[in-house]
Amino acid sequence: MLTKKVKNRIIFLIVVIFIFIISIFFVLKSLNESILYFHTPTEINQKKNLSFDKKMRVGGMVKKKSILSDSKGVKFIITDLKNEIIVSYSGTVPNLFAEGKGVIAEGKLKDKKFFIADKILAKHDENYMPPELKTKSGN
Amino acid sequence: MMSNFIFMNGYGIFVWSSFGLVLISGFILFLKTRKTLKKYEKEFLLELQTLPEAKKKHVLENSKIANKILVENSKTN
Amino acid sequence: MFNFFSPTNIFLILSRIQKFINSIFFPILIVSLVFALILSPPDRIQGDAMRIMYVHVPSAWLGLACFSAITVLSILAFIFKIKNFFYINKSLAPIGLLFTFLAIVTGSLWGEPTWGTWWVWDARLTSMMFLMFFYISYILCFKFIKKEQLMLKVSSLIAILGAINLPIIKYSVDWWTTLHQPASIKLGVSNSIHSTMMLPLLSMLLVLVLYGALIFLMKYKTEIIRIKKKSIKRL
Repeated sequence: MLTKKVKNRIIFLIVVIFIFIISIFFVLKSLNESILYFHTPTEINQKKNLSFDKKMRVGGMVKKKSILSDSKGVKFIITDLKNEIIVSYSGTVPNLFAEGKGVIAEGKLKDKKFFIADKILAKHDENYMPPELKTKSGN
Repeated sequence: MMSNFIFMNGYGIFVWSSFGLVLISGFILFLKTRKTLKKYEKEFLLELQTLPEAKKKHVLENSKIANKILVENSKTN
Repeated sequence: MFNFFSPTNIFLILSRIQKFINSIFFPILIVSLVFALILSPPDRIQGDAMRIMYVHVPSAWLGLACFSAITVLSILAFIFKIKNFFYINKSLAPIGLLFTFLAIVTGSLWGEPTWGTWWVWDARLTSMMFLMFFYISYILCFKFIKKEQLMLKVSSLIAILGAINLPIIKYSVDWWTTLHQPASIKLGVSNSIHSTMMLPLLSMLLVLVLYGALIFLMKYKTEIIRIKKKSIKRL
């Protein structure tokens, strides 16, 4: 049913798409580090050559009962349940910033365990629920 | 009740502007598309009118589309 | 085999579908808006800001779906040399662009009150921006390349290149760390949207699908009339 011309076009297309996919794969692979929007505390803990004067982002969960706020700003702990980083920040936090919830802090590392943020973003999860179910789900 | 429906605990402006944007931009695209369609239908009919009578009859007999456009446009005019 | 897809045949069917959609569109739109804005409950964490999801998510889905359709039709058109598919693609592209644009802007309006920022360059948002650029270049290619053979080739190339971006958009939230949350609705897995919110979401999706179909039908009719006008003297 397929003529020779049609077959040739199919083969041509497959080769072109294959080359595109391979090249894009390598581009993404080489960019991998910069595509990551944030690093987890564990990644920072394991990293060898940490730069302390470059801006970076740390993300994870706000540790429960770790938020301390005073007149200067807030201090809290970002955790990924294995490692922790203390973050200090002066400014207003987004509405959804709360303990036990996802957060991303942008700023500079002071040392492996201490981070000075100049911007806080709240990360929300993919669950959508009406308020009445709050107690049932247990958190 | 009513004011809460509009303000939505401070989120109102974001919710209303996003719904408004979707409705308005959807409506604009609709109007623009309809305008182009009408323009092309008119041009098509004009082309049809300029044909000689015998040829016009031939086209209308052979092309369902020409027929359809003629019928639809004569209804609205 | 492809006789069914002849422009004349499609044109006559389209007019009927268009009338049908016209008659049911507004009732469904009103009902969906009432559900989305009034009847559905606010989210337990995000409150009423989560209502933006009802326009954001369907727009994003349809933006991706339109591009997938364009790619599949481009490939078929390239292999079997069916020109009609290009006219379908040309009519699909503006709707896809509109939905992608709306997904980005409503996402921005959702991000500001919840994340605390209008825009970040994370993998999901950036790849969505790429999709919009692919749409724009696709449409511009139809507008500005006058030689037909060249236009068909360039547009197929853009469609196929852009298609590689689609899985990147879909899986960006799983492959890399992003500010954007992972997908809530996955096929085959129980989804994480409560049923009282699922209903408005699906009905808004229906509204946008019907709207997209309406625009597509009008654009496609325009295309067919344009072709027929060229050939009217030869009949």
